[in-house]
Amino acid sequence: METSEKIRVLLVDDETDYLEITAKRLARRGYEVATAADCRTGLAILADSPVDVVVLDLMLPDMDGNECLQEIRKDQPSLGVIMLTGHASVHTGLTCLENGANDYCLKPVPLDELVEKIEIVYRDMRSGEKKC
Amino acid sequence: MSGKLKTGLKKVVTFFSSAGPPADPEVLEESFRSHYRGFRALLTANNSALDLMAGMERALTRGRPFGMAFVRGQCTALTVNVYKMIHSLQEISDGKYQGLSPAFEEISGKIEEILARQPEVPPGEHVLPLSHISKEDADAVGEKLANLGEVHNRAGLEIPAGFAITAAATQYFMHSTGLQDEINRLLKTVDLDDLEQLYTTSARIQHLISAAPLPADLERQIMDSYQSLTSADGKKPLISMRSSATEEDGSGASFAGQYRTQLNISEDSILETYKEIVASKYGSQAIIYRHQRGFRHQDVIMCVGCMVMVDAAVSGVMFSRSPRDPSSSLVEINAAPGLGRRVVEGIVDTDYYQVYREAPTESSHQGPGKVGGHLTPEKQRELAGIAISLEEHFGVPQDIEWSIEESGKIIILQSRPLAQLSQEDTVFIQAADAQGKDLLIRAGLSVSRGTAFGAIFKVHSNVDLLEFPKGAVLVVEHPIPEWASLMNRAAAVVSETGHAATHLAIVAREFGVPAIFGMEHGMELLENGMAVTVDADSCCIYRGKREEVLTRSVPPPNLMVGSPIYHILEEIMTLVVPLNLTDPTSPFFKPSQCETLHDLTRFCHEKAVDQMFTFGKVSGFAAKSAKQLVGESPFQWWVLDLDDGFRQGFDVKQKYVSWDDIVSEPMKAIWDGMTIKPWQGPPPVSVKGFGSILFRSTMNPSLDPAVRASLGNRNFFLISRNFCNLSMRLGYHFTLAEAYLGELLTENYVSFQFKGGAADRSRRFIRVYLLRDILERYGFRVEVKLDALTARIEKQPKEYLIERLKVLGYLLIHTRQIDMVMGDQSMVDRYRRMIIGDLDEIVKPNSIGGE
Repeated sequence: METSEKIRVLLVDDETDYLEITAKRLARRGYEVATAADCRTGLAILADSPVDVVVLDLMLPDMDGNECLQEIRKDQPSLGVIMLTGHASVHTGLTCLENGANDYCLKPVPLDELVEKIEIVYRDMRSGEKKC
Repeated sequence: MSGKLKTGLKKVVTFFSSAGPPADPEVLEESFRSHYRGFRALLTANNSALDLMAGMERALTRGRPFGMAFVRGQCTALTVNVYKMIHSLQEISDGKYQGLSPAFEEISGKIEEILARQPEVPPGEHVLPLSHISKEDADAVGEKLANLGEVHNRAGLEIPAGFAITAAATQYFMHSTGLQDEINRLLKTVDLDDLEQLYTTSARIQHLISAAPLPADLERQIMDSYQSLTSADGKKPLISMRSSATEEDGSGASFAGQYRTQLNISEDSILETYKEIVASKYGSQAIIYRHQRGFRHQDVIMCVGCMVMVDAAVSGVMFSRSPRDPSSSLVEINAAPGLGRRVVEGIVDTDYYQVYREAPTESSHQGPGKVGGHLTPEKQRELAGIAISLEEHFGVPQDIEWSIEESGKIIILQSRPLAQLSQEDTVFIQAADAQGKDLLIRAGLSVSRGTAFGAIFKVHSNVDLLEFPKGAVLVVEHPIPEWASLMNRAAAVVSETGHAATHLAIVAREFGVPAIFGMEHGMELLENGMAVTVDADSCCIYRGKREEVLTRSVPPPNLMVGSPIYHILEEIMTLVVPLNLTDPTSPFFKPSQCETLHDLTRFCHEKAVDQMFTFGKVSGFAAKSAKQLVGESPFQWWVLDLDDGFRQGFDVKQKYVSWDDIVSEPMKAIWDGMTIKPWQGPPPVSVKGFGSILFRSTMNPSLDPAVRASLGNRNFFLISRNFCNLSMRLGYHFTLAEAYLGELLTENYVSFQFKGGAADRSRRFIRVYLLRDILERYGFRVEVKLDALTARIEKQPKEYLIERLKVLGYLLIHTRQIDMVMGDQSMVDRYRRMIIGDLDEIVKPNSIGGE
């Protein structure tokens, strides 16, 4: 963990209860958290402010999570993206990775597991940027 | 997904081949860094994959319930990680292993297919007369009705006149409602630990089904069948309507009392009742029960038996053998006046008879009825005879519901396999044990054996039920089937009334929950919150914890074994776990030979290590070439620094590296283990043992342990500060040890693989077993297949893992020539003692014996 500054996480999920609780709990763990209840809001936040890792739900009201992922990848090919879904399916999981997600996990995801995934994705991203 | 994966991989390949061979050191450095990133991503995915596989294996053996959500979730996460590994390997190998994606697609495709498989419902009639039904019709009408048909049509006994509404009818009805998707959605979100939520959801689903209209043709078919039951004098009979679910009884799960049965139904309420019974599939206790027993909801389809009501003088339940003591030669009969339902719900006090199988004229009776009870000796004998003949007919002990009409005719209402005959062979503890001032009550019948400790919680109604804490002792007045939804929470059950034949007793035995029924005044004498020890073997309850009683408790049974979900996971595991690729030097170590996800992970891991090790050599990049280790060692070692495994300031252009230059913690730990005790040279060898090794050496000279020259380049370390991968081919042994010791506990692991050996097969097996025993002693999870061994520990603190790495280092050196003595058991034992003696000095004693 190279956390002299806070890792910035964007949560995109239309289940607002889940969104709020997760945001609070992540903030308590020392992350800077932004939230969006749909894809368009999420993309707007990404366009305006720096984000390290996006946690993106697969089922969003205005756009399929995979389409949203493709939108994100157009501008930010190396941003860390973790996909979340309530319905496990081998096919869906693989499709997310093919579309360039860094990781994929199932709801309900325990907070510790989410934190761990965020840390790993963030670290891998950073090791891509930094000089060796 | 197949096409997409191919395109994805192709993109990667094109990217790398068009990049061309870099020459500039900076470009090389960047290229190496990108390889290293891929390598790390591959290792992370590898660990996650192995962890998931272990979790799936644990689920099969541990016996705790799991549902399809778990199976699907694990499979998804696993395939995702294997995909990541393949993707990463293609990145760092410039797309060299094209064969991986077809192999992966084939395996993951098969897994998807198993996950998507649905139970087949045989098409057919919507209603069937009982007189047309036999055992083979279980898929069409459920086990209960199929058996009842068999009782009449093949065993020649009396059953009520009636008909069955089949599984095909229920499917037809449910399909016509269009409700299934909504029901599935509601079920998916329900938390089984939240009983209140479960009750609400269950009520809602049942309401949806009951309120839906029946298709007109089905209504007509049911009512036409009913009309056929009209008696000669034109009287329309009242009927009983009994649930008979497919998968009930046959799979070893009793489903006792889980679904609805309605009595005295008149013509005008038949259709409503049918829908209610179909809906009772989603009763809360039935939902919990299916989860505990590993059934998907779609595995169970409700069929309904409609039977003319019996004008019963006496009714009851009998067991062809005692459910508590299968070896006894007694038929047990419970009887009460009137209808049998109150007997199975344990609401009435019953006459209890034991009839000797061999001498049916001898019987004993206990109960509240008049002297001798409600059954004459003749009827007792007749019933016992029926029980024995049904046991013979079905081939297993039976649990039989019966009624006797006023005319004296015996009618059979149900016959099913007797649930849970064999509990553990605990000896019945008699009065001698039941003493002491802490004894609160001693009364009642042991209906499910065992002992337990917990706080008393009395349940009067469904409202109390919602408050029931996990691990409490359930105390009730009557053992009605509704309480079955607490069987996964209760430590023990105490009921004031009831006996072994009640549905709740059957379910308690099935779940291994100790139970005492017929314990009079239990509700009065036991106070809520009181901590007690329940001894259901001797029907005693003690205040506080009685350790000497609790030591007799037996572990709960694995309820998942044999269930539909268990079978699904088991079948998937054949595509996941078996490791066929164990020897990297074999010509069969290639993508097309990968039959399981484990094979794919093994292949990717091996090739990724190769890619990293040869990067410097292939690209001519000295800084990232392996350096030869200088120092005292019987072997030659090469070390490649992946990132920060050499001290700062080390001149990367050197060809040699000395021990002082290395800062990799896991490598140091392995090295410490290797050198902690001096190797005392080869052990004394019996002529036979040495001969057998010489023989194999002659057949394959490259395996000769004396051929040092070819070994050197096979021993290498890939390191960073936190990471070490050691590959070793010493003599006949192929060994791989790997470890990561980082900040995130979940990323930490030590893994070890071992394969081969010079000696003949049996000797190799002895060595692998010796290694397994030792590694298990120090907390490794070990798997052995033929002469290949894999061992892992993960998610442990650094200090713990450092000790284990020392163990591995020690074993690498000290077991390597034990082959030669392996034929001599006393020598093997001597070595085992010597090795454990040495290792116990390395490993802290409190951490020996598991994680």
